[in-house]
Amino acid sequence: MMNVITVENLRKTYTTYKRGSGFGETVKSLFKREKVEVNAVDDISLAVKQGTICGLLGPNGAGKSTTIKMLCGTLFPTSGKIESMGFRPYEDRKKYVRGIGAVFGQRSQLVWDIPPVDSFNMNRAIYGIPREEYRKTLKHLSELFEVEEIINTPTRVLSLGERMKCEFIMAMLHKPKIVFLDEPTIGLDIIAKAKIREFIRSINATGTTFILTTHDLEDVAQLAEYVIIINHGKKVFDDSLQKLQHYVGEKKIVALSLAKPYGFDVPAAVGARLIEQKSPVELVLEVDTAKTPINDFMELLSRKVSFLDISVKALPMEEIIASIYAKPSKE
Amino acid sequence: MRVFFSAYRSCVAAAFATAAAYRINFLLSLFITLCFNLGFPLVTLLIYNAGASFPGWSLFEVLLLQAIFTLSSGLASIMFSGVLWATMQHVREGSFEVVLLKPTGPLMFLMATNFSPDDLGLVVGGAGLFAAALVFVDVSLGAWPMFLLLFAAGFAVMAGLNIFMAATSFKWVGNSRIPEIFDSVMAFGKYPMGIFPQAVRGAATFVIPVGIIAYYPANALLGQVDASMAWVILPCGLFLAASVWTYRRMVRLYEGVGG
Repeated sequence: MMNVITVENLRKTYTTYKRGSGFGETVKSLFKREKVEVNAVDDISLAVKQGTICGLLGPNGAGKSTTIKMLCGTLFPTSGKIESMGFRPYEDRKKYVRGIGAVFGQRSQLVWDIPPVDSFNMNRAIYGIPREEYRKTLKHLSELFEVEEIINTPTRVLSLGERMKCEFIMAMLHKPKIVFLDEPTIGLDIIAKAKIREFIRSINATGTTFILTTHDLEDVAQLAEYVIIINHGKKVFDDSLQKLQHYVGEKKIVALSLAKPYGFDVPAAVGARLIEQKSPVELVLEVDTAKTPINDFMELLSRKVSFLDISVKALPMEEIIASIYAKPSKE
Repeated sequence: MRVFFSAYRSCVAAAFATAAAYRINFLLSLFITLCFNLGFPLVTLLIYNAGASFPGWSLFEVLLLQAIFTLSSGLASIMFSGVLWATMQHVREGSFEVVLLKPTGPLMFLMATNFSPDDLGLVVGGAGLFAAALVFVDVSLGAWPMFLLLFAAGFAVMAGLNIFMAATSFKWVGNSRIPEIFDSVMAFGKYPMGIFPQAVRGAATFVIPVGIIAYYPANALLGQVDASMAWVILPCGLFLAASVWTYRRMVRLYEGVGG
């Protein structure tokens, strides 16, 4: 599969001003401000394969939104090279953005006071989409999202979920080859989230590449094939979702309901540790299956206690990501 | 170019639809703008009624000049004032990406999507005053082509001023007072140039050509400008081109806000 986006040694440095708090510092800052250079994106190289869904993760302030903006061509990099669909996004912006779409969960592209269909029509004219093609695409997307009834209602009276569906339609009308999604499910209920995820999957199946930035790890778990994690402006992980799940080792979470109250030592030597005890008979263990395969561990456990119920799960994605975020970045 | 006009027409239609969504606000804005701008020629009326005058200019000649200024200002406000406020807001809130994601120049996109029908009141007021002043001054038919040429040049200055102001937003984020400075500069265009010192006249013709907004077009209608004065459109064209160039350069400074 060929790369649709290639990024080499990308950097973005902002100049900002440091200012203390309080009245005195405020007055002082009127005359003199200390300049501070912030490396929002610090030497990032990456590649995105055509037709995939790539999750771009990172804690707040990590530099992922800055990276997305540079990939969209809306922000000039300080240095480095981006090549996307054969374009340098920041140099060939007008031509480049014809082939991309973007949905920003916190920045609306719809005009607030008029119905979404009027905003769609505005986009039709801006992108020069032939009327018949526009009509077909709009019908298809509206049916997919089940919003045929609401696109004639003023945007300001729509629910967040309805608005977000319309944002997706707005971004997809010109049939982009790459779609950038920045927090597309923020604030949505589970039904709306599910609908949007289903929509992304169906559009992706037609060969559209998606770059997904989110804090909702369920989005990543359900959609992304591979994940790039940025922290402190640096790339700290770039691999498949499967590899990410094993990033902190081959660990499983074992939840036990015991027949009798807990009264044994967790065998640390076999790579297990108690992580939660809900009651004398309910406990949760973390087991490193690289040290002891889960079958062996269960056999060992059954010799010590009798249990009423048992469940074995993979380590939650939140914990894996949190452990990556917590690692200090290499200078 | 066909796509450009189609996009512009579609965006302007959306702007009208937005204005129509709040009908009372729209009508009130029209009325208030009309009343507020009629107050400015009233000051001229008071000056002349008190026995004072602008040397060499009769009351209706000055009113004609001020009507041209109002008309030009109204047309520029409808088409360009939204660019200023929208740029300011987008830069301060970090939402300029939404503009840059469109396959058009950001200036064109903002100009079209922020078409301001509310300022129609200014055009109606200016046109009314212009028609009224014309009744009292002698204008030959042959004066109109030169007037239209100079009016277009003045309109380019108005547009340039709005675009320059908008461009400053990228550097001085949240500069809500900048328009006031530009309004003060523009005020030089509301009066006959003869009342100002030579240096001010020069600056108002060649540096920031606000004198061309109304003074030269009014003189053209009054038959005091011959065809050789057509050269004054050059600084106006350059001024507009400089403003567009500056805006495009300043867009590169856009940094957004923290994500």
